[in-house]
Amino acid sequence: MLLYRDGDASAFNALYARHKGGLYRYLLRQCRDAAAAEELFQGVWMNLIRARAGYSVQAKFTTYLYRLAHNRWIDHYRKNSHVAMDSSVEENCEAIAELPDERERPQDETLDAKRQAGRLMELIAGLPEAQREAFLLQQEGGMSVEEIAQATGVARETAKSRLRYAMVKLRQGMLGWR
Amino acid sequence: MALNERNARNANGDAERDPRLDRLYRAAAHEAPPAHLDPPILAAARREVGARPRSLTSMLRHWHVPVSIAAVVIVSVSLIILVSEEGGERIVPAPVPAVAPPAEQPAAPGAQPARVEASRETTQPQAAAPAPPRRGSRDDAKAPADLGKLADSARSEPGPPAVSGVGAVATPESAAKPFPQPFRGTPRMAEERAAPSPADAVTAGRMAGALSAPSEPPLARSSAEAPQAESLGRAMQTKPTEQDRLPVWHGLEKEPPRKWLERIEELKRQGRAAEAEEMQSEFKRRFPEYPLPLDSK
Repeated sequence: MLLYRDGDASAFNALYARHKGGLYRYLLRQCRDAAAAEELFQGVWMNLIRARAGYSVQAKFTTYLYRLAHNRWIDHYRKNSHVAMDSSVEENCEAIAELPDERERPQDETLDAKRQAGRLMELIAGLPEAQREAFLLQQEGGMSVEEIAQATGVARETAKSRLRYAMVKLRQGMLGWR
Repeated sequence: MALNERNARNANGDAERDPRLDRLYRAAAHEAPPAHLDPPILAAARREVGARPRSLTSMLRHWHVPVSIAAVVIVSVSLIILVSEEGGERIVPAPVPAVAPPAEQPAAPGAQPARVEASRETTQPQAAAPAPPRRGSRDDAKAPADLGKLADSARSEPGPPAVSGVGAVATPESAAKPFPQPFRGTPRMAEERAAPSPADAVTAGRMAGALSAPSEPPLARSSAEAPQAESLGRAMQTKPTEQDRLPVWHGLEKEPPRKWLERIEELKRQGRAAEAEEMQSEFKRRFPEYPLPLDSK
């Protein structure tokens, strides 16, 4: 990014090639709408391009990129949703253990990985936004808890609890899918 | 051991990773952005680089380190050169014996060879390398009486025709001659006094003129100084030959007083009275205890 800031256009190509897949999947899973994800995807990269001259190294580039994406998605969410994100409700996972797994439980223990992956995607889609975001940032951005906290603008402990709750739910949902 | 490992994993946030979930997610997540999104984004990136010149802050940031390094190097080299020049001037070995005892004190019988040696050493550096021009007039104001003496002694000697009057003291010949009075001071001062720069000589001449003729009108003096400065400049441009810079008594430094007297007599016979007088004064300085012949007094 520093090279691109200093005028090396080819450096941007490398950045784009490296991060476009993860960023697109992050937005796609968050929006669950391909058209919206494409729009957000373009918007994030345009924001990055416009912010080129003022870029300074304050964190990993991945953190910076996903912070832009997070902000963009928050704007989109607020614009298109009448329900505000209530993180306190979302993060209240006291009753995780009692969550019913209403999906079809496979009887065959030798389910192939493809079906397991499909099941995982369903579980991810069912997560609250904040927890889903934490999990996606970990998976697509390869971020640590601190970096997730930076990218989403929350405290480290908040990010950690979101991630933990997401993992508990996903593990629980996949219990019978081994 | 296992507890410690778990604590460390918790601290790094690795506790929130599940290898099975990671593997499943990697197997499932293969979506890629549509290809039609790439060209506009890449084109916009190129446009941004090409259209908008780099901002001044960006350029400054880019050149910050090289410019800082260059500045440090330049300052360091300048300081080293300056210090070496200054240190070199101070380190120039001016021998301690150059500080001769005062002339008023009666010389011990065995002191004569040492005095001859000292005077030889004071005359050697000036013949080898003339002193560099001085940078300030700090020393000029320090000893006006000495400068007056210098100017008087210089004025009494005949100089080249181009340099006459008050400015005559600035002749390189007179500047190269040793100071007639025994010097009391640091070796560096002795060196500077032994070979005064033309600028010093001009200053000394002016001061001497002011001392000898205080009632002279300033306007007349300044008008007289202009041609003198011109002639002084010409005199500075024409470098004196090696022969001109040698004192009259050159070659006689180690000779006994009798030889000196013979040489003085010979100069007088040849009609070179000024040189004879100069040599005689040097003789008095070197051999104060030696009686002069009646006709030489």
